[in-house]
Amino acid sequence: MAVYNSYPLVIILVLFISAFAIPIFKSIKAARTIGISAAGISFVLSILTLMGVKENGAYYFRVGHYDAPWGIEFHIGIIEGLMGVLFMTVSLAVLWFSIYSIDHDLSKKKVPLFYTLVNLLVGSLLGIVFSDDLFNCFVFIEISSIASCGIVVVKDKKENIKAALKYLILSSLGSGLVLMGIALVYSLTGHLNMPHIHEALVSIYPEHSRNMLIAIGLFTVGLGVKSAMFPLHTWLPDAHTFAPASSSALLSALVLKAYVILYIKIIHRVFGMSIVGELPVLNIVLLLGAVGMIAGSVLAILQKNLKRMVAYSSVAQMGYVFFGIGLGTTMGLAAAIFQIFNHAFTKSALFLSAGSILEKTGKKNISDLKGVGKEMPFTMAIFAIGGMSLVGIPLLSGFNSKWNFAVAVIEAHRVELLAVVLISSLLNALYYFPIIINGYFGEESLEGKVYRNTERPIKELLPVIVLVLGVIYFGVSGGGLLSLIEAGIPALN
Amino acid sequence: MNKPAVEAERSEILTEVGKLIIPFIQVFAIYVILNGHLSPGGGFAGGTILGASMILHRLIFGWDNLISRLTYDRVMKWMCASLLIYGALKGYSFLTGGMHLEVWDVPLGTPGKLLSGGFILPLNIAVGIIVSITVYVFFKLFYEGTI
Amino acid sequence: MKGPYDMGHLIANYYETGAIILFGVGFVTLLAHGNLIKKIIGMNIMDTAVFLFFIAKGYISGNEAPIIRSAKPASGYVNPVPTALMLTGIVIAVSITAFALSLTIRVYEKYGTVDLNEIIKMGGE
Repeated sequence: MAVYNSYPLVIILVLFISAFAIPIFKSIKAARTIGISAAGISFVLSILTLMGVKENGAYYFRVGHYDAPWGIEFHIGIIEGLMGVLFMTVSLAVLWFSIYSIDHDLSKKKVPLFYTLVNLLVGSLLGIVFSDDLFNCFVFIEISSIASCGIVVVKDKKENIKAALKYLILSSLGSGLVLMGIALVYSLTGHLNMPHIHEALVSIYPEHSRNMLIAIGLFTVGLGVKSAMFPLHTWLPDAHTFAPASSSALLSALVLKAYVILYIKIIHRVFGMSIVGELPVLNIVLLLGAVGMIAGSVLAILQKNLKRMVAYSSVAQMGYVFFGIGLGTTMGLAAAIFQIFNHAFTKSALFLSAGSILEKTGKKNISDLKGVGKEMPFTMAIFAIGGMSLVGIPLLSGFNSKWNFAVAVIEAHRVELLAVVLISSLLNALYYFPIIINGYFGEESLEGKVYRNTERPIKELLPVIVLVLGVIYFGVSGGGLLSLIEAGIPALN
Repeated sequence: MNKPAVEAERSEILTEVGKLIIPFIQVFAIYVILNGHLSPGGGFAGGTILGASMILHRLIFGWDNLISRLTYDRVMKWMCASLLIYGALKGYSFLTGGMHLEVWDVPLGTPGKLLSGGFILPLNIAVGIIVSITVYVFFKLFYEGTI
Repeated sequence: MKGPYDMGHLIANYYETGAIILFGVGFVTLLAHGNLIKKIIGMNIMDTAVFLFFIAKGYISGNEAPIIRSAKPASGYVNPVPTALMLTGIVIAVSITAFALSLTIRVYEKYGTVDLNEIIKMGGE
């Protein structure tokens, strides 16, 4: 047992304990110090874990003094290590940015509550990713749903409360369905530990295939509601639009992803491709993902509010992930996980810069944003890079992600789906390019605007620049990440 | 702070009966918490009973009792202290178990005795405090509109 | 209708059948009604149905509750794992209900109604 084996548990403990230590001190400065230093320690530990797993392979870590199946275990492979680094990077950048921006949105009494909720949220999301026991995952799912509703409603306007209530009710619908799925799986096998369930399910597969189909269906719909699969996404636009900028970035970049990772683990680790390959579930997921890719973009074109448009774009990008899972091949799964990385960095940069524009100029609608590129050149540049990445301009990570999807589709011998990928890229261009062009060019837009009038200081934009550097890095050298993901996929089974 | 919608009058029957009954309810709650590992009960059930006694105190001794012992700050400090103790105990147990370290662990003892059962007894006490404070805080939130 | 599944199975496992029917009732109440309080009640019924299903799966007829009075071999007791898990589940359901109810009170203060359809038509964007 090397020392780095315990780091995932230490990360979760540090995040939870710091979240409970914050309300004891009343001042905002103490809350910020505790919150950000806890996130920093967790970031360093997650990198050390990933380096350890890359050298020595995947391992099991038992929590407490009892072995599985009576105790709870964590399974840390390359994919979980990568997810840990991703979550901590994005959340550290968002927390760093929130030092400068959260005061404008919240009243002074609620700022420590924000840091508590963010630490609880990230801790529980990491728990979902690391844990190897189904009911433990369910407990973390519930903690994360309360915490994510909390960071929407911590700003006290009336639209926020409506959005948070819609999110809470639909989210608990999803949790109820997931719990029923866990109950069905437990009644079939009597275990809750993922590898043990897999052995038991494989041995009883032929007689009880109908039960397993219902269980997989319940998991799909339940986790689909929580991670914005196409027809079940209705809570997402309100919740991501009205939340403060840092909250929107966290919600869109991280919260949706942890549930997708749990879904991937359930399909490949609990049931396994030998069972799922014979049921029609993956085709339905593929179809819903493809429809989501196109419908999300179409709905985004029709929006007038800037943040609402970015939120609908999230629906379209999550459609890509479900498309990759539905393909059913290793290459499709690797493309889906690469898209998770790409979307996390890009969407958080987009939301943080859109929030900056909203905060500094006070304009919400896209039609008011003409010429904002002269007033806030650097913020608009970050928004432009993010938008171009989602469209698929080469040298940015979005292009690598779409390329991976195209290769996966061709390798799976379904060339007609290539059209879906191309059409959705085109639709993305239809709503991002007008903003960028109107912001920077056009004579009648630019007159009357003073250069760098309402710009943020560079010091405050540094966290967003870090995220954009991530986007460019994955664009230029994405191959290394892709081969790492493909090496980690066999350890999922 | 705003007053609740219906203000109860200060009635002598309620006050005298309350002074008698509330200590008994609290002793029973402590009994349920402490015997959680031997009989049905434990932190959640005992904490709910303790919280019910705090709500009863607030309802009977009402608005005039401005010298309240259960202010928001004190209650939050108790809750965070209990949560931190819970986290520290659990963290110690998880880490030593997961890393297969052979350090001192709380002795397990014999079934049927009060002070046996390892960590369960301190954890039950912490959970009892947390649940009672949560029940009381939610009652105050719904009754008065603010904490 | 004879086969691997027939009505006799449904009636013999009446706990599980009742739990599934309750789950359906709660699910439809959560989705169909507009009133927020009814939605919260539906959520509670749905969660309670899942708890009933889980705990009923742990029951072995003829055995007693898992409290050690005089030592018995392990096969003399009911399966204690589902009851322990569902304690956690009940606490989670209670806390989500409390959070949803406090949000409902705030919505009522700001909008003046608890009907979700009217709130969506009324408010903002």
